[in-house]
Amino acid sequence: MSNRTPNTPRNAESERPESTSRRDLLKLLGVGSVAAAAGGSILLPSTAHAVKTRARIVIAGSGAAGLAAANRLSRALDGATITVIDRRKEHIYQPGLTLVATGVWRPGKVVDANRRYMPSGVEWLDAMVAEFDPEANRVITDAGQTIPYDYLLVATGLKVDFGAIQGMSPDLIGREGIGCVYDNPDHAERTWQMIDRYVNQGGTGLFTRGPGGIKCAGAPLKVTMLTEDLATRRGRRSDLEMIYNSPSGGLFSQPDMDRFLREEFPSRDIAINWHHRLVGIEPELRRATFATPDGQARLDYDFIHVVPPMRAPDALANSALAWQSGPFADDGDWMEVDQHSMQHQRFPNVFGAGDCVGTPIGKTAASVKAQVPVAVDNMIAAIAERESTSTYDGYTSCPLITRLGRGILVEFDYALNMVPSFPFISPYSEHWVPWVMKDRMLLPAYNAMLRGRI
Amino acid sequence: MAFSFTGILAVLLEFIRPWLGLIVVILVAEVIVLALLVWRNRHRGPIVWRRGFPPACLVGFLAGLAAVLVGPWLTTATFSDLSGLLDYASLIGGAVAAGLVAAALSWPPAVLLRNLGSA
Repeated sequence: MSNRTPNTPRNAESERPESTSRRDLLKLLGVGSVAAAAGGSILLPSTAHAVKTRARIVIAGSGAAGLAAANRLSRALDGATITVIDRRKEHIYQPGLTLVATGVWRPGKVVDANRRYMPSGVEWLDAMVAEFDPEANRVITDAGQTIPYDYLLVATGLKVDFGAIQGMSPDLIGREGIGCVYDNPDHAERTWQMIDRYVNQGGTGLFTRGPGGIKCAGAPLKVTMLTEDLATRRGRRSDLEMIYNSPSGGLFSQPDMDRFLREEFPSRDIAINWHHRLVGIEPELRRATFATPDGQARLDYDFIHVVPPMRAPDALANSALAWQSGPFADDGDWMEVDQHSMQHQRFPNVFGAGDCVGTPIGKTAASVKAQVPVAVDNMIAAIAERESTSTYDGYTSCPLITRLGRGILVEFDYALNMVPSFPFISPYSEHWVPWVMKDRMLLPAYNAMLRGRI
Repeated sequence: MAFSFTGILAVLLEFIRPWLGLIVVILVAEVIVLALLVWRNRHRGPIVWRRGFPPACLVGFLAGLAAVLVGPWLTTATFSDLSGLLDYASLIGGAVAAGLVAAALSWPPAVLLRNLGSA
């Protein structure tokens, strides 16, 4: 693990506690003990052990990873200048998009505002990073501003590459039987309109999955199974021919879950085409083209769930921060980080978290929850000029919804071993409880993560 | 990934955040009821809390029963989606919690109402 400290004059000045905080004041007033008993550390900012520094920190992106990091850093550092660069005002709860696309949730439930989670004292720049220049320790925004930094945290998210599928465009979602759960609630809502119509009218449904690293890789599977379940509930299942097209020879990276799905899909009369990668679509003809080991295959459809390949945003992909070679470069020009420290391997004052990083697994909100504390801890260690010790073990999670009201809480690590957070919840069988967690508890957990509390 | 105690509290806080206003209103109402109880009993000696126990238990029982019956429906599921000890224990545990909260909240008003009845 790289542990060099960047040559900067703005590292930690000292680690002495701050003199007075709101919590101290409350304690003086005799309320502190009550607040502490009620979880006061959750409600009040804690700067008791803040590292004093004048470091300039830039966070590129205000998605899940960017906001969580901003909150953690603003609490852990005293005197740092923290700048978040992102123009987006809306915050999309992306794990909820599958529920919107299958008619379970209304779109408004996944839309929030970034300002609600942006910590005070953080400068929020209304722009997007257009260029990363790590050799000069600066980023350049699309408004032409040059922002120098001592430390950089890259949390830009990723780009859904619709252009990689010939004939495909986001405008087609919600027309000609085309759906795509990814990217935003508008896509998910229009996908629901297509699924609703497909289930009522019947026909052939093609379900696809983009190759390589994609965010929430369980989403294509969930959309497939929830569509099948909806048709069954409406008594329309016999009118639907459903085909899942896997770009590889598997359905899920975790072997136990892969085995489960290989049995589950056929048992629900969902056919599987192996090694079928969607490469083209002809909306007017309702025909899709797949690359297969035997050449191209054309399949007609009444509904198709398009899952394009995904890649790092252009500014990141075209920068020196991206992997320059190897599988993560070939897959999507993902950001180069040490997979355990979340620290850039060539630019040690740069850290990454979230969908944009090139790690073996983990483009989920659960991964963000595990990655951000590691990236932040190791950045603070670098600032304080001490050895970094936090490591990310590849933790990721997928509440695999198998039908309305049931799911499997799948959690695993880099070694693809199951690592359940709650030992009493089996990661091998369907239950109602994981569904309740997905439907009711994960959004609060996500919001707590944004505030840097978990 | 383990959740710390404060982490669980943070999640619970986010869970109730949309209803914080309602919760505050209910708690204020409870405080008002308690104040009324104290005021009415200022010349009568100590408040007899056990008088509110039977109706509070009844309210708690009914609330718990309702929670069992509508719990799956509230999550857009059905009873057929429940399977195994985990699901039923969770449903019953949630219902017990709902019943206890309902009983606790209805206790002061029950004492007050019985006091009014005996005035």
